[in-house]
Amino acid sequence: MLKKIAKKRKIKKEYWQVTLLFLPGVIFFSLFTLYPIVKLFIMSFYEYKIGALKESTFVGLHNYIQVISDEISQAAVVNTLIYALITVPGQIVLGLLIAVFINKLSKAKVFFRVLYYFPVITSWVIVSVLFRYIFQNEGYLNYLIFSMLEVEPVHWLETRMSSLAVLSIIGIWKGIGWSMTVFIAALTAVPLELYEVAEVDGSNSIKNFFYITLPSIRNTILFTFVMLTIGAFNTFTPVKLMTDGKPLHQTEFVLTWMYKNAFEFRNMGYSAALSFTVGLLISIIAIIQFNYFKKA
Amino acid sequence: MKNRKLLGIFLTLAIMIGLTSCTSPKQAETKNKQIEKNETVTNIVFWHHYNEQSNENKVLMEILIPEFEKQNPDVKVEAVSHDWADLHNKALVAATASNLPDVIRVDSAWIPEFVDADMLMALDEEFEEFNSVKEGILTGPMDTANVKGHYYGLGLNTNTKILFYNTKLMGENDVEVPKTLDEFFEAARNLSSEAAQKIWGYGEPALSGWNMLPFIWSNGGELLNEDNSKAEGYLNSEANVELLSKFAQLYKDGFLSGFNSGDIPMTDGFAQGRYAMIIDGPWKYAELQGGHADFTDYDATTMPAGKNGSIQVLGGEDISISRNANKEAAWKFVKFMTNEFAQVEMGKAGQIPVNKKALENAEITSIKNYKVFLEAIKTSRARPAIPQWSELDQILTDAVTNVVLKGADAKETLDEAARKMDEVLR
Repeated sequence: MLKKIAKKRKIKKEYWQVTLLFLPGVIFFSLFTLYPIVKLFIMSFYEYKIGALKESTFVGLHNYIQVISDEISQAAVVNTLIYALITVPGQIVLGLLIAVFINKLSKAKVFFRVLYYFPVITSWVIVSVLFRYIFQNEGYLNYLIFSMLEVEPVHWLETRMSSLAVLSIIGIWKGIGWSMTVFIAALTAVPLELYEVAEVDGSNSIKNFFYITLPSIRNTILFTFVMLTIGAFNTFTPVKLMTDGKPLHQTEFVLTWMYKNAFEFRNMGYSAALSFTVGLLISIIAIIQFNYFKKA
Repeated sequence: MKNRKLLGIFLTLAIMIGLTSCTSPKQAETKNKQIEKNETVTNIVFWHHYNEQSNENKVLMEILIPEFEKQNPDVKVEAVSHDWADLHNKALVAATASNLPDVIRVDSAWIPEFVDADMLMALDEEFEEFNSVKEGILTGPMDTANVKGHYYGLGLNTNTKILFYNTKLMGENDVEVPKTLDEFFEAARNLSSEAAQKIWGYGEPALSGWNMLPFIWSNGGELLNEDNSKAEGYLNSEANVELLSKFAQLYKDGFLSGFNSGDIPMTDGFAQGRYAMIIDGPWKYAELQGGHADFTDYDATTMPAGKNGSIQVLGGEDISISRNANKEAAWKFVKFMTNEFAQVEMGKAGQIPVNKKALENAEITSIKNYKVFLEAIKTSRARPAIPQWSELDQILTDAVTNVVLKGADAKETLDEAARKMDEVLR
């Protein structure tokens, strides 16, 4: 009996300690994550005005209706989706291939890892400006095409699809290093015995890849899949710096349009509604991805 | 064991206290200020966007503020430099926290927005001297601070745009410096060439209000009615339709470039002789001297005149007092910054003065690059002073882009844009 009470007391005491240890994290999370989200959610139902003495007017679902019926926000979502559809599989497939090759190397592993990781640590701003030089009308690429093939220069950054292609290329180039690193970590965790056993059974490396490697790192692939999809929806810097939605908002992405509305037109409510609509969309996509992988 | 747990708790608490106390020095600071306020010296805070490394900032910190404090020993000025775009957002945030500085240097285009957010003091209501101070300052820059009949600042410095042209290309093609809009469009045609390296007669970096309004106004058109409440019948007037069609034709024929994402940037293109003419502000001199010192074959003149004369768009900054400022001290400082002495000093550092006496001062009139600007400013106009300006600007940009780039019908597009603008203005 006494022992039980003593134990209970101990648990109680530990609760206190744990609570105390949690507190700073919880406070910061609530202050800088939870509170802004709730505030933003409320904002999305108002025609939100900046200014201490300004009354914001409640407009119900008006902002959401505008977001859904607005042609530019529709185009922005479609552009972002296209970008995700190209860059996410692109980064995963290429990242995985490179990871497998680097994993097989016996020498210079670190060298290649650093080499492929370089774009990841380079600033988005620098990358965007450099690629702009490459792809502008009189840029290096057009010069190359012209001097080698003698064809008319392509106006890469002036139509919707060519701009999306350029942006996707940059996205993949910059993102390979990250997925590669994640995959290398996962590959080292695959037990070598599996490959040894397979070898005894007369398997080859291609079969190994599809029947041992891929299934073993399935969870990692799912993780990168979800992370990269979310990442694709967060694309801002390259678009802002390379096309800024031009021409005529045809290359607008979700975030650039959100930014323009919030900080240039001061339509805070619209931007808030857009962010929640997109947040919902990302959640749905993530749930589908999880379910699909569970079944597969 | 017990000690370790105690240590854990202690550390946690220490971290929490450490983190929360980050805010306390500032509070202490403001407390100090309040104490000082009660004594004879008044502190005022001045937010501006003179670049910290610039000449202007040096003049402000080393000449103007010391001189002001000498003249007014009871006021101390704490000047804080911000990035241009940062200042706009920080001021809006400070406004929501009722934490605005006493005096702000405001881009004249922000005034209506800041007034709409209830951040600025109406100077004509607060200060009896206002009218006499206003008399000493150019009307154009003063108008940028006027919202619905009240003045929310004083003009501080001004700028506008002028026509830069490549003298070498002019000579080679036998083209005279255009004086009228018709001559200008003709010159843009004649200066273009399809040689190995294409040359465009005219380079324009964007199709927004800042770029298009000078053409619209000079051509006798308008964007909105007189009290900025209606676009229908003004934006889609015959003059504007005609002008826009001309612009579109110029682009279609390959004589106009610069506003697409892939185009050559203005300064580079002009210095390399790829754009024969550009229209830009006083900073272009500094940019050309800084990045292309060996390029000297250029000169400048005022915007070509249309039916309505040569009307350029007015830029520049105002100096404003915030709603919760220390009124009297702030007013003293604002008056000082717009007097002849301060304006001449700033003028020498590259800020075009707005004080009438400073403009007649020999030290200013002798600056060679100012000459054309000072002439252009006499006839330039501010953009509509309304809080919805950025939205209207976007509608205008979209409409012009649609016509110029996509070849849409000018009349239909402007009709539609006017309808959209009226919706925003309602």
